Amino acid sequence: MKNRFKVLRAERDWTQADLAAELNVSRQTIIAIEKGKYDPSLSLAFKAATLFNLQIEAIFQADEES
Amino acid sequence: MIDKQSTSSNNSITEKNKRNTKSLAVWTSAWLLSLALVAFGPVSLWDYNKVISLCAIATNLLMGYKMIMANKQHLEDLDELQQRIHFVAMALSLGVSMVFGAVYGLLEAVRLVEFQPNPSSVLFVMGISYGVGMLLAHRKYS
Repeated sequence: MKNRFKVLRAERDWTQADLAAELNVSRQTIIAIEKGKYDPSLSLAFKAATLFNLQIEAIFQADEES
Repeated sequence: MIDKQSTSSNNSITEKNKRNTKSLAVWTSAWLLSLALVAFGPVSLWDYNKVISLCAIATNLLMGYKMIMANKQHLEDLDELQQRIHFVAMALSLGVSMVFGAVYGLLEAVRLVEFQPNPSSVLFVMGISYGVGMLLAHRKYS
């Protein structure tokens, strides 16, 4: 799954630590999500959508099937 | 911009982790000390007095219970990725310990070793494989 965490965070001039604190997760989790190495749970995805004030589909996109 | 007050108040996961790790370290140390007391106390301190030995064992079990509860709390307060990392490490540790423990117990029976296998050796394998599992999972997600 792809996500726009890094772009959305940069647009708001937030650090990874800021975002981690807002979502109540570790900075390691934010790094892993931004690198696409970890797909967050549905509840964390909704939390991020609320924080960024966006629809969940505007943040996460499923990988295209080959 | 995220306001700093909100940031510091929501930074609680880090604080919780620190607090839980400290608690886990304290109870693990207490458990280890009480285990040492059970192991060496009868020989060095109270000349195999059964009542004192039973008290030492009861203390050890209580410390063990507190350590288990501290570990449970520690795991529950981790975030979802950290929990997954521990889950991977535990799965590896359980599997390796089971496989190693089963074959290790048979070594004397099939006369490959002269000594009687000590079950506590499995604890070392468990600890080492847990550490390796943590390392591998951290690398995978970083």
